[in-house]
Amino acid sequence: MAFRPVKRRKRDGRVVVTLPAPVAELLGQVIAELGDVFTSPPAGEVTSRLFPRAYLDPTEEDAEQDFQSLVHDDLVRTRLDAVAAMVADLEAARPTGSDRVEIVLDDEAEHCWLTVLNDARLTLGTVLGVTEDEPLVFPDDDPRAAGADMYALLSALQGELVEVVLAQLPETGTDDPDPS
Amino acid sequence: MNMSADTEQITIPDTVEELLGEEDARPDTPWIVLVWNDPVNLMSYVVLVLQKLFGYSRPKATRLMLQVHHEGRAVVANGTREKCEIDVARLHGYGLWATMQRDD
Repeated sequence: MAFRPVKRRKRDGRVVVTLPAPVAELLGQVIAELGDVFTSPPAGEVTSRLFPRAYLDPTEEDAEQDFQSLVHDDLVRTRLDAVAAMVADLEAARPTGSDRVEIVLDDEAEHCWLTVLNDARLTLGTVLGVTEDEPLVFPDDDPRAAGADMYALLSALQGELVEVVLAQLPETGTDDPDPS
Repeated sequence: MNMSADTEQITIPDTVEELLGEEDARPDTPWIVLVWNDPVNLMSYVVLVLQKLFGYSRPKATRLMLQVHHEGRAVVANGTREKCEIDVARLHGYGLWATMQRDD
């Protein structure tokens, strides 16, 4: 991306995302499909990555079942709500000229976008078999090439958004020694 | 809620074990929450999540993220079983690969 797609505007501190209109449209389509993955996830790695076990110890199976029965449905619902919110944000994107659209995010939308972009990358990255060491490269005629392009787009956008959000968080925290 | 306490029989447990039930009477060993390395989550995103969820400073969140990255995992929180379950659920909500275990 040659321009800065994510900025925090001074006027009200809100995050503004600017995307080429076709990119925003494609993004909306891909994000909307995530809903199906959350409600009926394919068995295997995608599921275990989106909905991990809390306990690795097999002797804690009862606790694991209790944990999942408490949190699983909430986690699905939270993710579906976030997906719906982000799709709505993209559909309501405002044209700004140069065939670009602009989306202004309040705090809640900022959180939705962060988690949805990450969920999309987790899903797509797992399906494509992304590794830490080698970039995802497929031949142009490989059906996975389009997925790899989308993964790169999601990663770039999330990276930009994370930088903007991090810039707003304090350097200090609860672990810091008492200055007195 | 039914407030007609005048007819209600209240049984007061004699022991802590009786009060808590058998399952919760195990020794109160501390638990730890681990975050595991994965090839998808951005390093900057992991720092952001650790700062937001636990209120850690940028240096501490960065140190833990690098430990996850280089050593495959890091202990990011500890406490009772209940507290750790809440922490794990919140980390899963952010898409981090988190688990919990007894701190043996």
